[in-house]
Amino acid sequence: MADTAVLSVWMGRLTFLCLALVLVFLRLLPLDTLPPGWAGPDLLLAAVLVWTVRRPRLVPVALVAAVFLLTDLLFQRPPGLQAAAVVVATEMLRRRHARLRSGGFAQEWLAVSVAIAGVILAPRLALLVTLVPPAPLPLTLMQVLATMLAYPAVALVAQIIFGVARTARGTADSRRIGA
Amino acid sequence: MARDRQTGEDYVRPIRRLLVGLLLLGLVGTFVLWRIDSPRVERFRAEVTDRLVPRLDWMMAPVTGLVNMAMDFQSYQRIHEQNQELRRELQRMSAWREAALQLEQENAKLLDLNNVRLDPQLTYITGVVMADSGSPFRQSVLLNVGGRDGVLDGWPAMDGIGLVGRISGTGQSTSRVILLTDTSSRIPVTIQPSGQHAILAGDNTIYPPIDFLENPDLVRPGDRVVSSGDGGLFPPDLLVGTVTMGTDRRLRIRLAADYERLEFLRVLRSHEAEAITDPGKLIVPEPRELFGPPAPGLPADSAGLEAADG
Repeated sequence: MADTAVLSVWMGRLTFLCLALVLVFLRLLPLDTLPPGWAGPDLLLAAVLVWTVRRPRLVPVALVAAVFLLTDLLFQRPPGLQAAAVVVATEMLRRRHARLRSGGFAQEWLAVSVAIAGVILAPRLALLVTLVPPAPLPLTLMQVLATMLAYPAVALVAQIIFGVARTARGTADSRRIGA
Repeated sequence: MARDRQTGEDYVRPIRRLLVGLLLLGLVGTFVLWRIDSPRVERFRAEVTDRLVPRLDWMMAPVTGLVNMAMDFQSYQRIHEQNQELRRELQRMSAWREAALQLEQENAKLLDLNNVRLDPQLTYITGVVMADSGSPFRQSVLLNVGGRDGVLDGWPAMDGIGLVGRISGTGQSTSRVILLTDTSSRIPVTIQPSGQHAILAGDNTIYPPIDFLENPDLVRPGDRVVSSGDGGLFPPDLLVGTVTMGTDRRLRIRLAADYERLEFLRVLRSHEAEAITDPGKLIVPEPRELFGPPAPGLPADSAGLEAADG
């Protein structure tokens, strides 16, 4: 019994890691080398937040840090900065995770939206303080908005394909404490 | 089992908090290190990219190909029309080609007559674009040539027609090209025919603006823009594009390179420009007539003189 539970947790972590790598891979495809006039949602960030709110055990903090440090390095961002912001945000959501679960989806969305804004805008502030020229502000704000709007869709996909549902259902769900 | 975890928490929680704190410290430390000693961390970044991205290539190439094919599907519908059009164009072009060949020969003859020595050192390596920057804020692409092929930081990259960007970050088998459209890209350019010098400053749009232009009145939309070679950054006279007037009444550059489909890029081996540092001497040293290889016993300074003479 314990063995199968542990195994399912590790399978869930592995699934999440694979999903993260696929998202990174899709963004690296050299499809569009024109500078875009708009910025799409950061799907990886939305996915991490969905998993943190609903299945915190499947996204241990070390995994989150490793994945985002890797994306920082690959996507030409200042290394470690956004990773640190994401770790702080996921830790805060993790602590509120039981309360968020008892509330409605609107409450979850609101909390996640605040986290998204923090994760994307806090590094910008740090860059201003350390005198590094940050990315254009309109694009950044667009990305914040797009990620917030994409969150319900990502949550839906996570629920349908990966079974990351809101309501407590399976064995993995009944655990209260994040790993 | 549940009880187990309950009791376990009491000491697990503070430890966990400590570990998370350490992790955060490590991440912020990485950023601080990057801010202080950027080249070292950037080398690490290039190393990571170098290890990871070529391994994804077996999957990346077919997926990119498939998506591009799907995008091209609309154009297949009018392929016949296009074919006819191309054929007509080809006929016209072959006339031009004849003229160009004749001009080339004439040019070579004139250069020979005038004893002009063009820079013979511009050779190139062609690389395939493997990945882009993956972020809407950074304009760069990853090539599959790197330190193994002798690529160095700062070399210009072109597509067949115009300048695309410069190498910034090389790994063993990959190198990153910062495109001219990136916000951190600054390239010294000359605007022909007025010969005005300016800086091409990328601003994340496809029409980058011209900065530090001395006299905008001398520049008209349609003027050719070439790299100026100032600061020894690039070899001079690489085509960049033409001047246009933006909707904000600012002079901008229409880039000659086809940014829509960057597939193969040429990396020019640009050798370090020789700078003239010596202001010149008042008393000219006696010229020595020396032919053939220098004598083995010759002191170093006269060997240098000889090189300066020749």
